[in-house]
Amino acid sequence: MKTEVLMIGAGTSGLCAAVRLAEAGVKVIVIATGAGSLGLAPATLDILGYAPELVLDPMGALPAFVSEHPEHPYALVGLERLRSAVAWFQATAAELGYQGGLERNRLLSTALGGLRPSALLPDSMTAGAMASGRRVLIASIRGFRDFYPQLVAENLASSEMGVDASWVELDWSGDATDLVPTRLWRQLREPAVRHQLASMLRPSMDGVEAVGLPAILGRTESQAVRHDLEEQLGRPVFEIPTLPPSLPGLRLFDLLRGALRRAGGRLILGSTAAEFRADGRRVLAVRASEENRHDEYEAGAFVLATGGMGAGGIEVDASRQAREPVFDLPLSGVPGEAEDWVDTEYFREQPFDRAGVRVDGSMRPVDAAGEAIFDNLFVVGAELAGAEPWREKSGEGISLVTALRAAEAILEEGR
Amino acid sequence: MTELPETQLLVIGGGSTGAGVAWDAARRGLHVTLVDRGDLATGTTGRFHGLLHSGGRYAVKDPGSARECAGENVILRRIAAGCIEDTGGLFVTTPADDPGYADRFLAGAAVAGMPVEEIPVAEALRREPLLNPRISRAIAVQDGSIDCWKTVWACVRGARAYGAQILPYHEVLSIRLEQGAVVGASLRDNVAGAVVEIRAQCILNAAGPWTGRIAKMAGCALGVIPGKGVMVAMNHRLVNTVINRCNMPGDGDIIVPAHTVCVIGTTDVPVDDPDQIAPTAAEVAKMMAAGEVLVPGFSRARALRAWAGARPLIPKGAAPAGEVRDTREVTRSHSVVKHAGVDGVEHFITITGGKFTTFRLMAEDAVDAVCADLKVSARCSTAEAPLPDSEDQRFFSLGSHQKEMEEHVGDDPLICECELVTRGALRSAASGRPGQQLDDLRRSLRLGMGPCQGGFCSFRAAGLLHHEGYYDRSQTNDALAAFVEERWRGQRMVLWGQQLRQYRLDSWIFQGILDLEHLPA
Repeated sequence: MKTEVLMIGAGTSGLCAAVRLAEAGVKVIVIATGAGSLGLAPATLDILGYAPELVLDPMGALPAFVSEHPEHPYALVGLERLRSAVAWFQATAAELGYQGGLERNRLLSTALGGLRPSALLPDSMTAGAMASGRRVLIASIRGFRDFYPQLVAENLASSEMGVDASWVELDWSGDATDLVPTRLWRQLREPAVRHQLASMLRPSMDGVEAVGLPAILGRTESQAVRHDLEEQLGRPVFEIPTLPPSLPGLRLFDLLRGALRRAGGRLILGSTAAEFRADGRRVLAVRASEENRHDEYEAGAFVLATGGMGAGGIEVDASRQAREPVFDLPLSGVPGEAEDWVDTEYFREQPFDRAGVRVDGSMRPVDAAGEAIFDNLFVVGAELAGAEPWREKSGEGISLVTALRAAEAILEEGR
Repeated sequence: MTELPETQLLVIGGGSTGAGVAWDAARRGLHVTLVDRGDLATGTTGRFHGLLHSGGRYAVKDPGSARECAGENVILRRIAAGCIEDTGGLFVTTPADDPGYADRFLAGAAVAGMPVEEIPVAEALRREPLLNPRISRAIAVQDGSIDCWKTVWACVRGARAYGAQILPYHEVLSIRLEQGAVVGASLRDNVAGAVVEIRAQCILNAAGPWTGRIAKMAGCALGVIPGKGVMVAMNHRLVNTVINRCNMPGDGDIIVPAHTVCVIGTTDVPVDDPDQIAPTAAEVAKMMAAGEVLVPGFSRARALRAWAGARPLIPKGAAPAGEVRDTREVTRSHSVVKHAGVDGVEHFITITGGKFTTFRLMAEDAVDAVCADLKVSARCSTAEAPLPDSEDQRFFSLGSHQKEMEEHVGDDPLICECELVTRGALRSAASGRPGQQLDDLRRSLRLGMGPCQGGFCSFRAAGLLHHEGYYDRSQTNDALAAFVEERWRGQRMVLWGQQLRQYRLDSWIFQGILDLEHLPA
């Protein structure tokens, strides 16, 4: 198959780069082994939450952060690109109503009732931004095993912030097999079911400003579901992300996939990039396998968005040899000896956490001397070296800015 | 100062030996109190590979031990069937093994009265398709896979039924002596934090690799050498039979199927402190290489967890600790030490050495010594008495739990999908013993012991236990963090391949989604 850009990976970074390119008129094909990471993540746009202390003003904290971490993707892309990246995302995902900004992190309740900082929230979560003195009701359906409203409420109430949180469990009928997220959200599409839930919630509404539910308010029609509940209760309703599958994440996946399709791009799932062909510093094609067949994709530019160690984008064998399996790109941050990979304690930074592919400011992978290895290969997202997104709370931010930087570099090349 | 009721026999150590002693002594009519500083079976017993010995390992080197194992193997199959999976075992000669050893093995087995049967290699490979196809000989033995927690808990339940007091989380702080005789001990209740006293007519030291430490409290010297052994659990049952190298005993020469995993072990290195025994990367690499000899491709399979246990070894003739380099040279038989004769301290007896498979016999010998000390005339009856839940003498089989669970799937949801732990099972385990740590529940339910290593189920279990009132808010937060740290200890040395991906997914869950590190105090 021939195309202009081949995107390898359908996570946040792969899809954002693909949509940006497709909307600029570039022919894009996205191939991915799985369905990307979006179904696992809460789908808030986290820019910087901990550095390592809590960050309340990302824009204010970032300059010091990037000077402390010159290898971090934010340092390579440059902070001046952050604003336009966020603006692009808000416009592209307008249907999901992302609100917020780089000046102030919102503090959202987690499924344990802790407070997690995030810069931009979809509108299904904006009413859940916690502040001193807020009075919220945390509710769930009895037996739903991925959410415990009493624990959430008690932890919220114990936070330094002083949130007045109450809780309720609804005795909604249906046996244990019904109470999985994918079935629950389908049930919630029925007006009669929403009506029943609202009437069960109403007795607990006194003095409550907003109602928090686990993130089960639908994959499709989620806004309609939420607005209907809000109308019936007379209060804003907000979602709290919990264990995967993440419905907010899947909504974002659906949105980006739809945007890609409308712009003329293609998404091929179940296809694993395995080998490449190059001529000097130009990659010519990538070979991918799909069940029992192979396909070769020829393109003018290639983007590797394969997600790092957690997603198979970097493979590590029993002797701790790490390898980027498609292009065999050099990796940085990989400890030499197996003993040196890990700390004794879990909650500390682990020596291998920042391992990944090193790139230059245009997202091209570089060799030990800092020279780009190929002219038309770019690496984005969690595959990159230099960051600890799950600890910094910077995952989507890194994916977004590096994806757009690579897309711009490709567009510049084209001109 | 709280005083517990006076007891005839205070047993220090809640592993297989201590639990077996409590069971035996209680049946003989003694009033028994069992204490352990932590949950039961968290010492050596909870850290080995789960082998029910046929005796094969000792057939050449130590026929006395082989005979002992073979005899106890038959008894345990009779009294603890519900704890045992009847996997059978094979001793196989690989290209790396001494080809002459197999004949010496067969000869030794005959002397030891150990049932063996040489089978054609083709038959061995048919039974175990992943075995090294280049093996030259295969001998079938009566090895099995035994669940150490089930066994220990069955013993203490049985002991309780005869009036024994079982006190986990009660740590011995000091042993009280009056005129050269042991009269009792001071214990710290590690859950409530209080110190309590107990008077005892006799104290049995069954503290495994810590027996030396306990003996010192009574002013006795005991040359116990803790021997560190590393194990690695693989994510799949690569074999369904216990597989042994048919060679002189060495490192990593056995693979034991255990529930949904298989375990390779082990090493044998003397250490000073049985509490400081984390596996090193080199030790894990050694196990993976050893596995490769028996099952080609082993080192590319998914490793789930690596840990270490410390065996208690007492050299006959009591060589001082630190002088022995390879503890495999030290005898494996057990020792009953009557400190009245050896150290002049009355009513204090130590039982140490031995192995899991002979725990019942160790207990019998120990309780015989206790009865002599207390001038009680009572015979051991444990060889004939089925343990609780093994009365029907049916072996444990892996599929039986699933079948039972499928019948109730509608009304009892799964909390842990990897190990099929239901909400109901979690509830009854929690209500059975108040004040437990999540990790204690892990041991009784296998919660978090599957491929996800707690990624999904630890959150669910913590939430449920809080919901049901077993933990308050801050206990829940702490329990979850402690559980995650504990799972980390086992994973940190096997972070490669699919387990590395699992770990990274779990860190997205615990840190990214749940932000577990930043909960209110």
